[in-house]
Amino acid sequence: MYTLLIVQLAVSGALMGMVYALIAYGFQLTFATSKSINFGQGELVMLSALFSLTLIDSGLPYWLVVPGGMLFGVILGLFVERAAVRLSLEQKGEGWILLTIILGLLGFSAAENIWGRDDRPFPTPIPSDPLHFFGIDVTPLELSVAIGVLTVMGLVELFKRKTLLGKAFEAVSADRDAAQLMGISATRTIQLSYGLSGLVAAMAGILVAPITTVGPTMASVLILKAFSVAVVAGLDSGFGVVLIGLFLGALESLTSFYLGSGWREAPGLVLLILALAVRPNGVFGKASIRKV
Amino acid sequence: MLTVENLHAGYGTSEVLVDISLEVKAGSVVALIGANGAGKTTTMRAISGMLKPNRGRVLLDGRLVQEFDASRIARLGLAHSPEGRKVFGPLSVEDNLLLGAYSRLPRFFGFRARAAADLEGVYALFPRLKERRLQAAGTLSGGEQQMLAIGRALMSKPKVMLLDEPSMGLAPIIVQEVFSTIRRLKETGITLLLVEQFAKSALEVADYAYVMDRGRIVIEGTPAHLREDERVLAAYLG
Repeated sequence: MYTLLIVQLAVSGALMGMVYALIAYGFQLTFATSKSINFGQGELVMLSALFSLTLIDSGLPYWLVVPGGMLFGVILGLFVERAAVRLSLEQKGEGWILLTIILGLLGFSAAENIWGRDDRPFPTPIPSDPLHFFGIDVTPLELSVAIGVLTVMGLVELFKRKTLLGKAFEAVSADRDAAQLMGISATRTIQLSYGLSGLVAAMAGILVAPITTVGPTMASVLILKAFSVAVVAGLDSGFGVVLIGLFLGALESLTSFYLGSGWREAPGLVLLILALAVRPNGVFGKASIRKV
Repeated sequence: MLTVENLHAGYGTSEVLVDISLEVKAGSVVALIGANGAGKTTTMRAISGMLKPNRGRVLLDGRLVQEFDASRIARLGLAHSPEGRKVFGPLSVEDNLLLGAYSRLPRFFGFRARAAADLEGVYALFPRLKERRLQAAGTLSGGEQQMLAIGRALMSKPKVMLLDEPSMGLAPIIVQEVFSTIRRLKETGITLLLVEQFAKSALEVADYAYVMDRGRIVIEGTPAHLREDERVLAAYLG
């Protein structure tokens, strides 16, 4: 019975960890093409979720809310690239770090003013009555998170491998100068990567919202864990973030059971510190991360 | 086909290229030779847009391109096979070749079918690449990577091809192979600007040649003419 409880905790935690993996995957997409990431990605997740909530409140059916929210994420991602990243990359500077943080803060203020400070429930048609698998309870809601994450990541990976535009994306990641010589515009490709990054972040927000509720602070903890997952896995392994995401989710769930829920955030930070000290390229990483 | 007029370029405040003028006529092979650090690679980079020239003009098929971004110049028909080959290591040989034709293929689907004939053409020229078509380009030997870099440049069906140091770091026997490839390409009527340290081999395939020294073009002429020039003999043909 006791073993079953541990497995139950690990499975529930791991399914939540998939959300970390998806956000971390968004970091990888922009890092691959531009060696930059959006430090305001958490606010992007949150704004997309709040926007989706507004779509629901306006009476739109759920199957239209999801693409609507994702489109909003794409637009935000493109905006971040244009407003905070492009110029500083052209000057080969690091200005994007500060600029993306500032955009995130602006997004946070905007959310507080538009939607208020309260956390609100996010209605979903997906039932939360648990299903039983070999004595373990899994809610369809938790399952929808895992399925949603794997579907989105799978589609993006398929795009990268099967279309010429996707291969161009990989070419820019491998060697930006050489890609330009093939007629591939690096600027356009970086733009594309920010759009895709916004898309996966919005999807993460929509998937997690029914479980965590929605409000301006919903993503502040989430993003820290996603960042840990990205660094621990390495910023170039899509397979790695899923594994580390699952692992961290399970670990958090078990930690909060054994040590108390106040310790819930500890494993992510400990893993982050360990990774930076022992394997700064990440467990599955090849490329070196430039520390700034 | 390619005309460079009074080109000045450099990195930061230091000017590397001083008043470079050269011409590559359609269907001709032109060699750019000179010692290490003479500015040959910088000239190539300034032509293809990897480096913005400070002054001067670059005309590609009658069109001024010196203000354009490298990707736009590539789309206008210039294929630059850069120094160090720069193949896309994690991607397969075939994907590298397909990306060479990026500017004239559909972006999403059907690009493989559209490129099939040209792929076969490159594979006919380099049978070794066909054997390794699914292998990651980074795992190829230096000579194979050079063939891939040339093949990739050919895939775009360029108006002008720039080939930078194809012999760099290769064993002598492979260098010979590279030059026999260049000779075969010449027979097909390619327009080529070739940078080489092996001046002797370069002069054997070229129709015309420029000699660079410390960022300037110091001598130019036909290979027969250069071979008789004492300065060239002493400095480069030993």
